[in-house]
Amino acid sequence: MKRLDLIIPELELERLRRVLRRAGVPGYSVIRHVTGYGAAGEVSEGLEVSGTGANAHVLVFCAPALLESLRVELRQLLGTYGGVAYVGDAEPL
Amino acid sequence: MVLQNLLSPPVLFFVLGMVAVLLRSDLEIPAPLPKLFSLYLLLVIGFKGGVELQHSGISQQVLLTIGAAVLMSLLVPLSSYWILRRRLDAFNAAALAAAYGSISAVTFITAESFLDTSQLPYDGFMVAALALMESPAIIVGLLLVRALAPRAGDGGEKTVGGWGSVLHEAFLNSSVLLLIGSLLIGLLSSAFSPAALAKMEPFSGGLFYGALSFFLLDMGIVAAQRLQDLLRAGIFLVGFALLAPLAHALVGLGISRLLGLPQGDALLFMVLCASASYIAVPAAMRMSIPQANPSLYLSSALGLTFPFNVVIGIPLYMALVQRLIPILP
Repeated sequence: MKRLDLIIPELELERLRRVLRRAGVPGYSVIRHVTGYGAAGEVSEGLEVSGTGANAHVLVFCAPALLESLRVELRQLLGTYGGVAYVGDAEPL
Repeated sequence: MVLQNLLSPPVLFFVLGMVAVLLRSDLEIPAPLPKLFSLYLLLVIGFKGGVELQHSGISQQVLLTIGAAVLMSLLVPLSSYWILRRRLDAFNAAALAAAYGSISAVTFITAESFLDTSQLPYDGFMVAALALMESPAIIVGLLLVRALAPRAGDGGEKTVGGWGSVLHEAFLNSSVLLLIGSLLIGLLSSAFSPAALAKMEPFSGGLFYGALSFFLLDMGIVAAQRLQDLLRAGIFLVGFALLAPLAHALVGLGISRLLGLPQGDALLFMVLCASASYIAVPAAMRMSIPQANPSLYLSSALGLTFPFNVVIGIPLYMALVQRLIPILP
C-alpha cells in the first residue's frame, strides 16, 4: 500500500479530484485552508475572497500499480498549476 | 469632498486595516468571514439593483449605458495590453489587462455608499452594467494570449484549460452568478411579491453599511500585504496601477457625458471603468493562464488601484463629474 500526499492550490482541487476519480483510486481525504510557505512565497488565507487563497492537502492510499498510472497526469497538473506531491509506504493498522 | 470620503466609516476602517499591517499588528479576520461578507455584499447589491431596475424599467438609455459598459470592458484590456506589453511578457500583460478591463464590485459598492452619504441619486440598472462587465475582459485576456503569445516569442504551452472551462469560469464564477441571480430575484420579487421586500429590509438595508465597513477592514489588511509585493515588482507596474484608473475614469467621464447620464450614474460609470478585478479575474487567470504571475495582477489591482480608487479616486471622480456633468432637472 502506498501513501500519496499532495499539496495543491485549493482552486485546482476539482481538477485533481477528476484525475483521481478517473484513475479509480479507492478514496481520498481533503484538508482545506492549508497555509505555509513555498516556491510562490507565503501562502495565506488572505485572498480566500478571490478563491486564490490557501492550498489544500489531499491524502490518497492506494495500490502501487494505481499510483504508477497516476504519475504522468499528476506531474502535468503540478507542473502547470504548482504544488508538490510525495509518495511513501503505508501499512494498514 | 475628499475629507468627507476619507472620514466615512468604510474608508476609515479600510485605512485601519492597512495601518494594522504597516505597524505589524496581529489583527486578523478569520478566513471564512471575508468570504461570507463578500457574498453578502454581492447578494444585497444585486437584489437592490433588481428592485430599482423594476421600478425604473428598461429604457433606451439603460440599454445604451449597459452597452457602453460592456464595450469598455472589451476595449480597456486591449489598450492596457498594448501598454503593459512594453515591459511584461504576453502572459502577464494579458492577465493584468483582463484584471483592468474587469471591475471591482467592492469599489462600486463603496461609490454607491459615497453617493448615499452625499444624498445623490443613482439608478439600479448600473448594477446590471457591473455584472455584465465582469466576464468580457476575461475572454479578451485569453484571446490576447492565444493570438499574440506565439508571435511575441514567449513559447511554451499557451493555455491549459479548454474553452469550455474558461467560458464556464468567465460567465458562471460565483460573483457573476450571485450578482445576476440576485438582480433577477430583486426584479421578480419587486414585480410579483412587493410585500416581501419589507421583510428583506433588515438584511438588505440596515446591516449593509456596517458589513461594508467590516469587509473593508479586511480588504485594508489584504491590500497592504499585496502593496509590499507590488513595490517589489517595480516602478512601471506601480505607475500603471495608479495612472490606468485615472485614464479609464476620464474615458468613462466622456462616455457618461455623451450618454447624458445623471451625476450619480456618471460617477458609478467612471468607477466601473477605473476599477480592476481582484475576485473574478484572478481565479480565472490562475486557471487559464497559469504562466502569469498572480503576485503581479493581484498586487497591482488590490494593492494599489483598489486603495487609490476607494480613498482618493471616488471623491476625485465626483469632483470631475460635478464640474463637467450638468445637474439634470
